[in-house]
Amino acid sequence: MRVPLSWLREFVDIQLTPEQLAERLTLLGMEVKHIERWGADWQNVVIGELLTVDKHPRADRLHLTTVTVGGETLSIVCGADNIAPGQRVPVALPGAVLPGDRRIERTEKMGVVSNGMLCSGDELRLTGDADGILILPQDTPLGVPLADLYGDVVLDVDVKPNRGDALSILGLAREVAAATRQGVRQPPITVEEGSGPSSAERFAVDVRDPELCPRFVGRWVGHVRVGPSPDWVQMRLLAAGQRPISNVVDASNYVMLELGKPIHTFDAAAVGAGPDGRATIVVRRAAAGERLETLDHVDRELSPEALLIADPRGPIAVAGVMGGANSEVAEATTDVVVESAVFDAVSIRRTAFRLGLRSEASSRFEKGQETRLARLGADRTAQLLHEWAGGVVAPGRVDTAPAEPGRPRVAFRPARVNRLLGTELTADEQRDLLARVGVETEPAAPGDRVDVAITPHLLAVVPDEGSAITALVPTWRRDIAVEADVAEEIARVRGYELVPSVTPDTLMPTFRASPLEVRELVRETLAGAGLTEVVTTALVSPRHHDTFVLARDVPSIEGEDEPGGSAIEVTNPLSRDHSLLRRNLLGSLLDVVAVNLRHGTPDVAVFEIGKGYARSGATAREWWRLGIALTGAAEEPGWNRAARPYDLDDAKGILELVARRAGLPRPVYEAETAEAVFHPGRTARAAAGGDLFAILGELHPDTIDRWGLRSSQRVILAEIALRGLAAGRLAPERARSVVRFPEVDRDLAIIVPEATPAAAVETLVRATAGSLLREVTLFDIYRGVPLAGDEKSLAYRLRLGAGDRTLTEPEVEAAVAAVVAALPGIGGRLRA
Amino acid sequence: MDLAQLTSDLEALRARAIAAAAAAPDTAALDALDVEVLGKKGGITAILRSIGALPPEDRPRLGAVGNEVRAAVEAAISAARARLSASELAARLAAEAVDVTTPGRPVRRGSLHPIMETAREIADVFAQFGFVVYEGPEVEDDVTNFQMLNIPPDHPARDLWDTLYLDLEGRLLRTHTSPGQIRVMHQEQPPIRALLPGRCFRYEAVDASHASEFFQVEGLMVDEGTSMADLKGLLDQFAHAMFGADRPTRFRPGYYPFTEPSVAFDILCVICNGEKCPACSRTGWMTILGAGMVHPVVLRYGGIDPERYQGFAFGMGVERIANLRHHVVDLRQYMEDDLRFLGAFR
Repeated sequence: MRVPLSWLREFVDIQLTPEQLAERLTLLGMEVKHIERWGADWQNVVIGELLTVDKHPRADRLHLTTVTVGGETLSIVCGADNIAPGQRVPVALPGAVLPGDRRIERTEKMGVVSNGMLCSGDELRLTGDADGILILPQDTPLGVPLADLYGDVVLDVDVKPNRGDALSILGLAREVAAATRQGVRQPPITVEEGSGPSSAERFAVDVRDPELCPRFVGRWVGHVRVGPSPDWVQMRLLAAGQRPISNVVDASNYVMLELGKPIHTFDAAAVGAGPDGRATIVVRRAAAGERLETLDHVDRELSPEALLIADPRGPIAVAGVMGGANSEVAEATTDVVVESAVFDAVSIRRTAFRLGLRSEASSRFEKGQETRLARLGADRTAQLLHEWAGGVVAPGRVDTAPAEPGRPRVAFRPARVNRLLGTELTADEQRDLLARVGVETEPAAPGDRVDVAITPHLLAVVPDEGSAITALVPTWRRDIAVEADVAEEIARVRGYELVPSVTPDTLMPTFRASPLEVRELVRETLAGAGLTEVVTTALVSPRHHDTFVLARDVPSIEGEDEPGGSAIEVTNPLSRDHSLLRRNLLGSLLDVVAVNLRHGTPDVAVFEIGKGYARSGATAREWWRLGIALTGAAEEPGWNRAARPYDLDDAKGILELVARRAGLPRPVYEAETAEAVFHPGRTARAAAGGDLFAILGELHPDTIDRWGLRSSQRVILAEIALRGLAAGRLAPERARSVVRFPEVDRDLAIIVPEATPAAAVETLVRATAGSLLREVTLFDIYRGVPLAGDEKSLAYRLRLGAGDRTLTEPEVEAAVAAVVAALPGIGGRLRA
Repeated sequence: MDLAQLTSDLEALRARAIAAAAAAPDTAALDALDVEVLGKKGGITAILRSIGALPPEDRPRLGAVGNEVRAAVEAAISAARARLSASELAARLAAEAVDVTTPGRPVRRGSLHPIMETAREIADVFAQFGFVVYEGPEVEDDVTNFQMLNIPPDHPARDLWDTLYLDLEGRLLRTHTSPGQIRVMHQEQPPIRALLPGRCFRYEAVDASHASEFFQVEGLMVDEGTSMADLKGLLDQFAHAMFGADRPTRFRPGYYPFTEPSVAFDILCVICNGEKCPACSRTGWMTILGAGMVHPVVLRYGGIDPERYQGFAFGMGVERIANLRHHVVDLRQYMEDDLRFLGAFR
């Protein structure tokens, strides 16, 4: 809400500087976002008087004038026709700067020097008139800078949605009055009614849906002369952000800004007559298929939910949203019907949304309007039409619900207010604070109950006798309905800065473990291992999503949401690039790789802990994952060593580190050859019991191409499901006694077919070596003579021991022999 | 063979061995000398082998001389060995010297994302006051995200949250962490001190100060006497923990449908310290979070009796806090994940 201080001063005195006022309003909850110096862009524009106005010797459409600005006489060329000697006008001197950064210099126009420019209201953004020079009152002092006379300060106030009453100059004046402990001057609403038929004789209003239109006040104003508004009106409207249109339209906008009451004016001639011959306005819902060309000249289809202003023939306006072109006030209009109505807030909001027509009017209607304003708005508009457009106001109003409700009674308990605020204010202090915002108070009547909450259903308590006070809330304060609202008002008026600041000393809750424990462990572990944490968007493009959907998702840990199902789509995405929820982290991490390669960072080792999302049927599922991406140098080159590129073993090493830190056994790998985005020969699935599942592998060269990486670097991606990532604690580790008896190492070189995975050999060793086996370590792989071409030799070191004795040679031999004996089962044999 | 002859042989051997030890060029020569003189087949043993030919009364005397010579030679070899190994070690150390001023072998340095770290630091501060972490789903329903927070359908306050809707009936991407308040209240009875960090979504065009995905931390405290004064005290402590104990704070009215009274909480601008600069829109203050006393309607939807209990809630944007702490001016950087940006963080 833009608030010109000159306008505000009509209703309240202001001694504070604009900055002080802005701070007081902000501390009262009316946050001033911005203080604008209106007219600050008029530089070197002063008041002048026209001395002579003559025809330009060489150009028919130009005038040659002489102007005094108090001292020397200037000759200025001017193209406007509304000038005459003796007028006071704004003169832009050479060197002046006008709005829009327009610079005025001494120029030559058709052979005549022009020492500046006479300004129109539009050039100054002071009025809406672009055709004529702005003619100022005769008593305007000569030579004075325009900004000193017509400059203003405009506060941009962020009025919150619960305070529709403050979307008006008068409403904000009430706040200023509360902040500065003074009263408000009410606008002088005096309607001078003419003679002749009354409004009710002129027209009728038939509200078919009183739920959606609780009150409609209409007035007939005849004999208006449509034309520009007085300059001062145009100036005010422009400063408040409203473009002047005509005196009739400006009057309705003026009332909207002044009182907060949206008004609509119809050309009375366009309102069709009912059976009794009177013009008849019908307020009803739209019928199916009904259409209306609105003021913006768009032909709109109206939904049956929309509330219409119609005449017996059809719609003439969308209620509370926008008028119809068919009933628009135009130059030829002589009689006007003023509509000052209250409409259902939800209905207006829905219609405005549906039509994509949210306006100053609809935004006020949707916040709710007090019914009293309907009468005030109608009268004030009629008054202004009389003053500005010479209209003759027909006697009386047409009013569909003249009864105006009194002040709502809201009972509150000062003790409860203190408990809520942490204050110790007496009841009288609380009443005095409320009085400053016009809330009257009286001791609660015996029947008054205290409303604690109204929705989902009323919760009211009967206060102890003498403990409650009843607030009589001004009708415009629709936001004060329950006890807590009164408490806020008391705190607000007193000043939040006076609320004490104490450390809570109430009961502590019982212990609860943080769900973040495992995530924190993984983050610290991976950062320590040289990886950088990234955060990427959960919303991705369809291409991104489709590319990285795995044929077989990494399963979730038991008890957590399972992946799979179908994608969850945003129905109103900002862009296609962010229109689906991702299923895994792989594509997001590849994007991070791509961005960094593009920015000249070749070595990327990153991880993210984030969610995958999918739906099955109507159920949405979310699951936590750890993703890793590696590319470039695993070991950075130095003066004393070469770089070593990342490969799959690095990813496995990181996975094993995570498993170890999480207290899990070393993961077991198996080959994954069928996932399209991954390299079929360099991708593994991994599992550590039911506590860790992963896929990790090098990207398929096709994927790298399709992602436009333009890089020969190999990229390794991994996605990991880990127990506790979603929420969970790590079990305390179990200590192991240090073995006091020596352990024995035996090396076995096992020859197996090339196709036999190492994991199968290790599984066999673990399964057959018996209870003495402590560790199995692969320490060499050999291919070549004397082995056959399709064979390899895997060298394992078996560590054997017993906690309670030194092993005997036969025991060791027996364990080794058991392994050797089982080798033929996997097509293996011992290397001699 | 007589005693005198053998004694003289031993003395001669002693003299020769001591001279040889002194002249030995390296420890290998000493090893050889040791074998030659002191070994099982060495010189001393060879001389003493004749002891049997001596009269019984002379035998102890020759033995004594032999022991004395042996000890003397051992001492000489040992002394020589000590001298030689010291110089050999010195030579080795000299040969092994490197240029210690070259840079070290790089250990790859990782880092933690500033948003995640800021969220953790926020949680750490509130943990001191007994706040424990809860989490809620990111795919929320309209009822929990709005209606139970006292924002009915078609309420004008819905304009405060531009929402991304999903192709699932009644579901949306949560616009704030506030629905977590409802979820915690359904789970726990007072006293409640809950902290809810997490990712949120808005229909918001992305620019330097707006993101369509961002992180929030929500706090909720409910008990019989939990008051606005408690809220103010806690927020003051939080601001001091994050922005320095001498950072002035400002508590002023705000508006949220789910709190009554509602609060906006400011700190003195960290850029200009109140001098009024563009960063604080020339107000001298920066809003870091919104808060208020939980609306009775919200308590009721949470299953808590608003006549007996009361409490406060607060919510903050993690990016906002991180921006102010780390002097980040464009929040798009957080999700661009350029390692040159992220590398500046611990």
